[in-house]
Amino acid sequence: MDKSELSHHYSQQFNADLEEIRTNVLAMGGLVEQQLEKAIDALRSTEIENAEEVVANDYKVNAFDVDIDERCTKILALRQPTASDLRLVLTVIKTTADLERIGDEAKRVARMAIRNGASDPGRNLYLRIEHLGNQVREMLHRALDSFARMDVEEAIAVAHEDRKIDREYESIMRQSMTYMMEDPRSIPLLMDVIWSARALERVGDRCCNICEYVIYFVKGKDVRHTSLEQIQKEFGE
Amino acid sequence: MRNSWVEEFWQLVLIALFAVVLGLLSGQLWMVLSIFLLGYVVRNLYNLQRLVHWLHDPSGMDIPIHFGVWGTIYARIERMRLGHQQRERRLNELLQQFHSSAAALPDATIALGAYGEIRWFNTAAQKLLKLRSPHDIGRPLVNLFRTPELSGYLEKGEFSQPLDITAPGDSQKKLSIRVTAYGDGERLVLAQDVTDRFMAEQIRKDFVGNVSHELRTPLTVISGFVENMQIADDQIPKHLVRPIELIAEQVERMRSIVDDLLLLMRLESASKEVPKNRVDVAELVEVIAQDGRTLAEDRIQIDVDIQTGRCLRGDAGLLRSAFTNLLVNAIHHTPKDGVITLAWVENEGECVFSVADTGEGIAPEHIPRLTERFYRVDVGRSRERGGTGLGLALVKHVLQKHRALLKIESRIGAGSKFSCVFPSAALVE
Repeated sequence: MDKSELSHHYSQQFNADLEEIRTNVLAMGGLVEQQLEKAIDALRSTEIENAEEVVANDYKVNAFDVDIDERCTKILALRQPTASDLRLVLTVIKTTADLERIGDEAKRVARMAIRNGASDPGRNLYLRIEHLGNQVREMLHRALDSFARMDVEEAIAVAHEDRKIDREYESIMRQSMTYMMEDPRSIPLLMDVIWSARALERVGDRCCNICEYVIYFVKGKDVRHTSLEQIQKEFGE
Repeated sequence: MRNSWVEEFWQLVLIALFAVVLGLLSGQLWMVLSIFLLGYVVRNLYNLQRLVHWLHDPSGMDIPIHFGVWGTIYARIERMRLGHQQRERRLNELLQQFHSSAAALPDATIALGAYGEIRWFNTAAQKLLKLRSPHDIGRPLVNLFRTPELSGYLEKGEFSQPLDITAPGDSQKKLSIRVTAYGDGERLVLAQDVTDRFMAEQIRKDFVGNVSHELRTPLTVISGFVENMQIADDQIPKHLVRPIELIAEQVERMRSIVDDLLLLMRLESASKEVPKNRVDVAELVEVIAQDGRTLAEDRIQIDVDIQTGRCLRGDAGLLRSAFTNLLVNAIHHTPKDGVITLAWVENEGECVFSVADTGEGIAPEHIPRLTERFYRVDVGRSRERGGTGLGLALVKHVLQKHRALLKIESRIGAGSKFSCVFPSAALVE
């Protein structure tokens, strides 16, 4: 089978191990995507079954995290990988950590949905949260796609999306504050809205991290804490 | 061919003769003969070298020799080469035809290798699943199509039922996935966009749900007033007493239909997750039998046959309503002095709850359709007994939720047996 970015080793087992951790990360990513999707859907609907499922399934995400970490530790200990193999293992370890956090954020959003089941802070605000949620979901999907394809250009494009999400988040904050000032009784509910928006915004940041790991794996350069423009100048074609 | 050999032979003889004559004339026979023969060998070697050179790129060069054995060799190779070329062209054409027809398939089609890696996919797959050609060839499909259900489905290797999931990256789109295994672990994945079908189904469900909900309020109002009238029946003209009674009955019936419809809808829309509470079936069966005896009023004997203490993983309320439905059906279809047997039996890892009666039985042509909504074997009679026509549909859905099957055996005149077969996975260890 073709492992274009992964190096070819004489040890078939090593090849298979490397391929397997990558596939596992993406399987975990698929699960997290689904969790996030359900959590966002739960915010909109009045039925809390989906949300309860998200909370109940979070252990699966955690199990993936632990399992992949253990595999990576084994590869590090047994194979002492170098160069791109080492980068792959490091990328995988970091990506799973971020995915696990995204899973936690999804759980947080789902909890919010359960708590506020029927109450509505004003139609418009939920619509905007949903809009933000859809943007974040799309971003996670594309980040994982770029991880699957090890596609630097796509990774940079996804990282760009984060600015839109930040803007959307800020505008939800402003709107919520206006509502709070108008009617202090709505504060408890609006706090939850703000927390949901915050959780979604954090997911966007974590997607950016994943994209940075992709760039690190392909180009071998750590681009964390570097501005987007600089990354683009260096790697974007 | 023989000609060319004869030609070659005479050539050799001629050279030899010439050499012998020359040798005899010069007095150095062997020397001259060897030189000529050496020349002959060198010429053949040179020809051999030209052949190798020509073979390197046969279509780019003219055939260097046309006569003699060498000419024959060139001619043969050339003929073989042209034959190959033709065959190759024909195969290529066929392959091209196949690829273009497969590429034109309306459903997304992906060929997977033994490791689940993508070997080939068509244009519909590029559009529907956002695959990129040729970039994605060789990547595991589950890396790009990450829905957990799909990887579980592919891993399980049980492809008799299509898999319905949402499209990756677009939750509005629904896909129906079919997989065929072929060759040595290779698989063909077909994905069809069923969003329209799904939407139609959704609209139907929503419609039924909304109508049922909307009917509830007027029914409550009507039944409230009818009840009031019945309480104050001494003030009601005599000729209206019976109509009011009928109204009350029919309202009650309608209410139970609406309730059943709403419950059915809840069962359909609820997630596929199996409920996890522990249900003691033996206890449940006893309770149901007691209810049944009250309903049957000594008209019918109800026996309980419990052979196992196994418990189910499930929802007690739903199971109770399903089992009760089966028992009530049996009571309605069993004549006076009949016997109904409720059994809970373990059999080869499966557990079976069954309701057997000694009623009139069901004709075989009705059996496959019994669980359809509002399907009635005998329209007049079953309505008269107050059935909603939804009972068995409810039973089927409840059982589906518990991964169980409904089995119906019946013979006209000999009675019927409704069995709920629970697989070992549904049982508590």
